[in-house]
Amino acid sequence: MIRPVLFLPHPVLGRPCERVDVIDDVARALAADLLDTMRASAHSVGVAAPQIGVSLRAFCLDVSGHPKARSSHGEVVLLNPELVEATAAPAEIGREGCMSVPDLTGDVARVPSMVLRGLTPEGEERELEMDAFEARAAQHELDHLDGLLFLDRLVSAERVFRRRSYR
Amino acid sequence: MARVAVTAFGADRPGMVAGVTGVLMDHGGNLEDSAMTILGGHFAMMLLVEIPDDQPVEALEADLAAGVADLGLSVVVRPVADVGAGGDDENGTGSTEEPSTWSVSVHGADRPGIVHQVTALLAHHGANVVDLSTRVVASPMQAAYVLLLRITVGASADVEALVEELTALGATLGVEVHVRPDDADIL
Repeated sequence: MIRPVLFLPHPVLGRPCERVDVIDDVARALAADLLDTMRASAHSVGVAAPQIGVSLRAFCLDVSGHPKARSSHGEVVLLNPELVEATAAPAEIGREGCMSVPDLTGDVARVPSMVLRGLTPEGEERELEMDAFEARAAQHELDHLDGLLFLDRLVSAERVFRRRSYR
Repeated sequence: MARVAVTAFGADRPGMVAGVTGVLMDHGGNLEDSAMTILGGHFAMMLLVEIPDDQPVEALEADLAAGVADLGLSVVVRPVADVGAGGDDENGTGSTEEPSTWSVSVHGADRPGIVHQVTALLAHHGANVVDLSTRVVASPMQAAYVLLLRITVGASADVEALVEELTALGATLGVEVHVRPDDADIL
């Protein structure tokens, strides 16, 4: 089911999420809703559970076909995802936006490659090596689960930009 | 040479920077630090300009006003006192100790007083604001406000207490407050 996306200043977006305790039909329905909501928005490369009003650690992403993507695992939906390994390489700065902050984009530093681990909706553990745009998208979604937006990670105060043409 | 601050503001359109800097050049001005940006569809310019001593500030201001009148810019020119060596010193705390730099992000439902209350608390702790920008976010449901700051605090300051009080203030104002060290990679 496509769920409405919440916008800043909704309080759920600023709250750290709880772990998914049991992989049951409710958790699987959440995973399906995340995917449905992402697919419904042409430009979305990921949706985190708090963005659809659920304060649980789950997100989906899909960077297929994105020009900045190198690794691409297609549609990924994970419960209790964790960053298990980040490369020591210096962080890279890139422009990020967010469906929950429709008006703005900003420059954020992220580690360029990482290993992401989590549970599939079927309860199987999955470990994914990600780099470039997919790694950035995963770190952006992980932040949502800790109640953080890209606005909380900007490289500096002036590196925030209006997405649309000026009013 | 004397140093002046030039500020200009007007509904954004092409040619504003060229217009202002053209008049400054005609007066023998040399551009130093500047910042220019768009605020709500208006172009805002702040420039430090070195000008020859024989150029009266009043004449420069009058010429600027006349030169850019057709661009819809209002211009102000003021003499600037020399702040001495270390003009880029971002400590501002008067201390010789190395200050630490922090990024602060504040966002939530728009309401009056967010900037004032946050910066008053920072000032109370002796923290110095070195960069600040704010954005109104036109969310479909409810307008949100985003305040982004870079601050420096003296080496002896109690950052933990500052963060605690900022978090408490955020709860009072109904906004999220996040503080992190400004650890941008420096080459």
